[in-house]
Amino acid sequence: MLSSSANAYDYPLDIAAIRDPSIPTGIPGGTELLHFVDALVARAPKDLTRAQTAIINTFDQESLVDAAAVFGNFEMMNRVAEGSGIPISPQAMERMRDTIDELGLISLLKS
Amino acid sequence: MFEFTGSPVPVREDLKNAYGDIWAHLSEPGPTLTGSQRVSLAAFVRAARSGDTPAWPDLPTSVLNLAALLFTDPGEVDRSSVRAAADDAGDPMTVEVISLVSMLAAVDGGHRGLTAELEPLPTPTEGAPTGVIAEGLKQRRTHIPMPAGAIPLALDLLPEVGRVFQDSFGPQYMTGHEMGFDDFGRAPGLNRAQIELVSSRTSLHNKCFY
Repeated sequence: MLSSSANAYDYPLDIAAIRDPSIPTGIPGGTELLHFVDALVARAPKDLTRAQTAIINTFDQESLVDAAAVFGNFEMMNRVAEGSGIPISPQAMERMRDTIDELGLISLLKS
Repeated sequence: MFEFTGSPVPVREDLKNAYGDIWAHLSEPGPTLTGSQRVSLAAFVRAARSGDTPAWPDLPTSVLNLAALLFTDPGEVDRSSVRAAADDAGDPMTVEVISLVSMLAAVDGGHRGLTAELEPLPTPTEGAPTGVIAEGLKQRRTHIPMPAGAIPLALDLLPEVGRVFQDSFGPQYMTGHEMGFDDFGRAPGLNRAQIELVSSRTSLHNKCFY
């Protein structure tokens, strides 16, 4: 999970940045990574090229491959989740309550 | 295969191998579909996304509707769209279609992230469907039958499919073992907090709670 991994690295994560990338994430290179995902989803070639360059300059070439692979993985996982309709357990809902409220995720839950 | 033509950076071998395994799986007969049907389905959903006129595979319309919606707009998939396909074609074929579309989205997503040309679809392998389907699984407040547990088990109605799905996690994200460490990181590469930032934003765009 994002919050526990940020804690493990002592990063001052602001979870609201997931919803609004203009908010500093508190994670090194976080803004560059969010812009990368946004450019990919928007299918904006110039923005994507800029975002790729920013990741290479901020991190390294390997990190761009990691970011693309993680994006692909969650393109897959999100589809398996929606296709299978796997429910979120009450325990997980309670554990993630702050994040759910901050990001307005309750609207994504389906009956 | 998997040259990632157009990528601004070299791609690590384990990711190429993982995508290669998915491609080999796609080309082969699955539990309910032939290799030809599987590759045709992949071509169909790619065309649906690109706006091209797709060739319609010989599968029920409800199955094709689910496949196209899941590939192009996963957040709009709900119980009714999945059960419509399952009622027409059965749970095993529906799970097979969900798996194919999802794994294709992974490979295409990775290529798009590297501005690489999409990998041409593989040549289908001849042969009849394997018929390998787990017995005794039920819907557990889910759209499809699956074991109790989390997303990695979601495709286990089809054991050979579930294995390919689970084996792809490590090179793309983290292995099951690595997921146990909040301070996991690749060196060189991203650490877990940075990885989770990418996954969280991607899921939000896909309107997916997961």
